[in-house]
This record gives sequence, structure tokens and C-alpha cells, in this order.
Amino acid sequence: MSKSTSASASGHALWTKMPKANAELFALTYGALVTELVRDYENIPDIHQQLEKIGHSMGVRCVDEFLAKAELAGVSLPPCGKLKDTAEMVAKMGFKMFLGVTADVAHVTDSGFSLLLQENPLSLFCELPEQYAQLKYSNLYCGVVRGALEQVNLKVECTFVKDTLHGDETNEIKVELKEVLQDGAGDDYKEE
Amino acid sequence: IGTNEWLRIGSTFHSLHAIAAEAAPRRLPGNKNSYGADDGIEEIEAGGLVLRCFQTRTGMKFVITAEPGTPDIDYVLREIYVLYTDCALKDPFYELEMPIRCELFAQGVDALIERVEKAASIGKR
Repeated sequence: MSKSTSASASGHALWTKMPKANAELFALTYGALVTELVRDYENIPDIHQQLEKIGHSMGVRCVDEFLAKAELAGVSLPPCGKLKDTAEMVAKMGFKMFLGVTADVAHVTDSGFSLLLQENPLSLFCELPEQYAQLKYSNLYCGVVRGALEQVNLKVECTFVKDTLHGDETNEIKVELKEVLQDGAGDDYKEE
Repeated sequence: IGTNEWLRIGSTFHSLHAIAAEAAPRRLPGNKNSYGADDGIEEIEAGGLVLRCFQTRTGMKFVITAEPGTPDIDYVLREIYVLYTDCALKDPFYELEMPIRCELFAQGVDALIERVEKAASIGKR
């Protein structure tokens, strides 16, 4: 319990140090981006894929910023021993630092976890019309989490399972760990 | 020194860094040091130079060479990491793993080095 409260406190400390943007501008800019994608791509799965790709490029950059700024702020980031720690970091510190909202962690197993977002800053003004009722509007998050974790050698797959824009009571992103990648000199140099 | 030379130096160091972890007398579990980043060359001290390497948990290495006895090299490396995330990563035209040609980043690093040198010379007096 104390570990998660200190993660929230650190997340909040990092959030206060970040330059802020207007929340409405942010939501509307994202809305414009999604609208453009809807215009460019005919079918919904393609839109999801594009959003995920955009999120991925963002995620690989966000994680370095998170690690660097945490150092600077003197927030200690102990290496994550278990996936649960990673989940807490992403939810309490990552999401808080970049979006100002904390996510909750649920369904933690050794191979996955879920992130629950009560408020979604991206979908502030969004209503899905009938023909796009199945659109995962905030699929960007899935890409961001995948990209960020990829940089720290965790290959994951993220899917949006519950969405408030579809009528569910909360937003849920399911994160499944596929494999832990290895860095280093490679097998050729390992001692026999 | 041209870009190709830098690339050669960089890739040589990258390989040496990784091999050093393999050749080390004491191997850490998973080849990760206590900070969480990959184990490898942290510091090289030679006759007229000290080389320090800071490895981030994302596998990025920042290498700095300085005169022996320069204080605050760790601080400089961490500041450069922050500058990298703010200037290079946020530049929409910067591709990851490419040489960094961002004005803002170069200016930031120059300003940082000036600041540190000034502080060091004041300290010496």
C-alpha cells in the first residue's frame, strides 16, 4: 500500500514540473487528428492501426522523458522486479506525468495487467456517430504503452477492452506481456 | 571528426560496453546493474583523459570525455539526458538512432558546458 501511495506522490511531483497545455486545445487537436484519419482510411480496423502506430512513436519518446525527468526531480525509480511494479509505474507515474490523470491497475498476473482510466482527457468533447460507434477513439494510449514498454525491453500487446464512449462505465486497457527482450553482446560472446 | 568517424567510434564503444559485461570477473544477474540499466563500461581512466558512460534504462548511452579531475561529470550526463528528451526527442524531424542534428539540442549542450565550466572555475578560485 505504501508503495503505491509513494508512486502517486512521485507522479504528482513530476506532473507539477511539466509545462501545461490547455486541456480543451489538447482534446480538440486529438479530435481533429482522429477526424483526419477517419477521412483517410475507409475501415475502422485501419484507423485503429494508425492510431496505435502514432501512439507507438510517441511512446518510445515518452519513456526517455519520463526516466530523465524523474532523475532530475530526484524521484527514485527502483528497477521493477515484477510486472506489477511496471504496471504501477505506468499507471501512477507515467499517466499522471503526461496527462495529469492517474490510472488504476487491475487484474495483475505474471503475464499482464489492466489499466483503468476513469477520466479520459482525450475524449472530453467526443461523441461517436452511428457509423463509427465501434471506433476505439483513444486507441492512441495502446500504442503509447506498447512503445514505452518496448524501450525497456518488454514486448507487450495492448488492447482497449472497455470504453466510456461505447457506454461502459470506465476505460480499460488490457496489457499482455509477450516476451522480455534481451540486450547485450548476444549469444556469440557468452562463455561456454 | 566527420559523422562517419563518430558512427564508427560509437559503434565500437557500444560493442566494447556489451563485451565488457561478459568479460567481467563478477557477472550481475541478467547483466543489469543496480540502476536497472545494462551492465558495462562505466568509466575509463587513462593518462590524460577520463571517459564516463551513462546508460539509461532504455539502452541509450551517453559518453563524455573530460580532463581527469573534472567534477560533476555525472550531473552533466544526466542534464544531457534531459536535454536529449526535451530537444532531440520532441523534434518531429529527428528519427531515432540517427545522428542528432537539432539546433536546440546543440545550443542546450553548449550552454550546459559553459555553465559547468564557469562553476568549476569559480570553485577552483
